[in-house]
Amino acid sequence: MVANPSQAKFDKAKRDSAPIDSPSTLQRFIGRREFGPLVLLIVEIVVFSVLSTTFMSTGNISNLLAFTPEMGMMALGMTMLITSGEFDLSVGSVFGLAPIIMWTLFNQEVMPLELAFFVALGFAVLIGFFNGWFVTKLKIPSFLVTLGMMMVARGTALYITDGFPQRTWRAETALTEIIVGDFYIGDFRVYASLLWFILFAVVLGFLLTQSRFGNWIQAAGGNSSAAHARGVRVNRTKIMLFILTAVMAAYAGITSSIRVSAANPNSGTGYELEVIAMVVIGGTALMGGYGTIIGTILGVFILRMMRNGIVMIGIPGLAYNIFIGAIILGMMALHSWLERRHHSGT
Amino acid sequence: MATELVRMENINKFFGRVQALENVNFTVYENEIVGLLGDNGAGKSTLIKILSGAVLQSSGKIYIHGKEVDIDNTTDAINHGIETIYQDSALVTQLSIARNLFLGREPLKGPSFLQWMDQDKMNVEASRLMREVGITKNIPPTTPISALSGGERQAVAIARAMFFDSDLIILDEPTNNLGVEETQGVLRFVRSARDSGHSCIFIAHNIHHVFEVVDRIVVLRRGEVVADDIDPKQTTVHEVEEVITGMRVM
Ligand SMILES: Nc1ncnc2c1ncn2[C@@H]1O[C@H](COP(=O)(O)OP(=O)(O)OP(=O)(O)O)[C@@H](O)[C@H]1O
Ligand SMILES: [Mg+2]
Repeated sequence: MVANPSQAKFDKAKRDSAPIDSPSTLQRFIGRREFGPLVLLIVEIVVFSVLSTTFMSTGNISNLLAFTPEMGMMALGMTMLITSGEFDLSVGSVFGLAPIIMWTLFNQEVMPLELAFFVALGFAVLIGFFNGWFVTKLKIPSFLVTLGMMMVARGTALYITDGFPQRTWRAETALTEIIVGDFYIGDFRVYASLLWFILFAVVLGFLLTQSRFGNWIQAAGGNSSAAHARGVRVNRTKIMLFILTAVMAAYAGITSSIRVSAANPNSGTGYELEVIAMVVIGGTALMGGYGTIIGTILGVFILRMMRNGIVMIGIPGLAYNIFIGAIILGMMALHSWLERRHHSGT
Repeated sequence: MATELVRMENINKFFGRVQALENVNFTVYENEIVGLLGDNGAGKSTLIKILSGAVLQSSGKIYIHGKEVDIDNTTDAINHGIETIYQDSALVTQLSIARNLFLGREPLKGPSFLQWMDQDKMNVEASRLMREVGITKNIPPTTPISALSGGERQAVAIARAMFFDSDLIILDEPTNNLGVEETQGVLRFVRSARDSGHSCIFIAHNIHHVFEVVDRIVVLRRGEVVADDIDPKQTTVHEVEEVITGMRVM
């Protein structure tokens, strides 16, 4: 029953001509998927700073910034891949294998370090290509393909080395300085890897949000058949992202081996899940179609600070996984709640 | 009638031993809306899927502007100016209206070695197009498709087909699951597409919708064309229903 039909009609016309939503800048900021992770990170920093006097010390911060870029680079690559609707469980193994290849070739005096570096990255390209080819051409789910590759790569690293770490101390070259040389700003120790991480983040962030390739990545992950019908080269896009992810993992592993002066065939074990956790905590959709580099950076810091902070405030490091698990569950619940609210709201 | 746009000649299609289409001859002229009618399983979807590259005919030829063409996949069809609109499936719901409109044909700017999408241009064009197909509501072009209604999604798909100058826009049951108002919207978009010089194939089970919008009706029955020149202005809905069920021959 409409009491006053002409009034109702007028209201409707008004509704139709008004913009469906013209949210304020603040509303739009809060509505972003990065907002939840940002709040969580701030809360984390506040809590740890209050509970521990050393958490915000320059020593601890530069400590934190030493390892974070290495996980971060892997997470950047993974963000792009997950946005396209795939993921890669082999990154931890590639992180371990690439430095083994590089240092073995160098230590055995097969080739100079610089060449060995590119050979190791070349292996990563091959691994990424295989992953992508199996997933897109043979239509095998990326879970299975990259699970297999994870074992092949880890097994290769162990087999090459007989399970022993490789020496890395003989080299201090321009290359190692460029990759992860350290310098001081005041008494703040900075590794070059942090600068590389920032550079990669800017480039990949630009690629994902501003470029045609980025549009294709999101379309491939959102609705690959529709994307394909529009002439988007879905398979090629995905293969390139598998390669990118593997190369980022290899580069991160090499960085790590130089920084800690050890190439251990077991290093990187379990990183794949932590990296995927960083990405999804940041707001990237695990099923693809939406990805955020900024969110991933937040996710990386959320998890790295958690690991660092709980030790600082005296909780045994063994309890770390409890917190990580809780964060993942909490953030997923938040994202799904926001999603549902968004859909019912329009 | 006017110039011939697409002609399908002696099309046969077998799915294993099932014959879905039998010697079908089907022509669409320029600047017309053809209604394709038939009972469930009559072969309507199969016929238009052959045109849109989703299904390959077992035999028969396709001519566009009188020239024989091969349509092996959806990309071929789009390149020949044939655009098919299914409910939802042709859009990426996570992406914005503008990004969907230009997906695969993104305008670029910047130096040739470092190019990025011209998103300003995309947004401006998207707004203009949405108005052109008759969306009067002011929907920002950056709105994700997931926030649109079914009818608005059809509008985006139709706008895209119009913008990229598809000669032929195929709509297979575009009004399914739509409310009364949304359906009227889609019919309006279809008309505006024709008025700006495109042809359409319109499939719907609701004959009344078909009657409202088409210029000519073609009826398929068990894979065969049983009528191909019914003028909705000179025929009743009832008569067409009888043709569909096989009780009347035209
Ligand atoms: N992929 C397929 N494999 C086997 N048989 C098929 C396939 N697609 C269609 N058919 C058969 O071809 C015939 C025509 O189907 P089609 O989908 O073209 O009918 P339609 O006219 O679109 O029907 P509806 O109105 O129900 O959508 C049916 O008998 C159907 O079972
Ligand atoms: Mg059908």
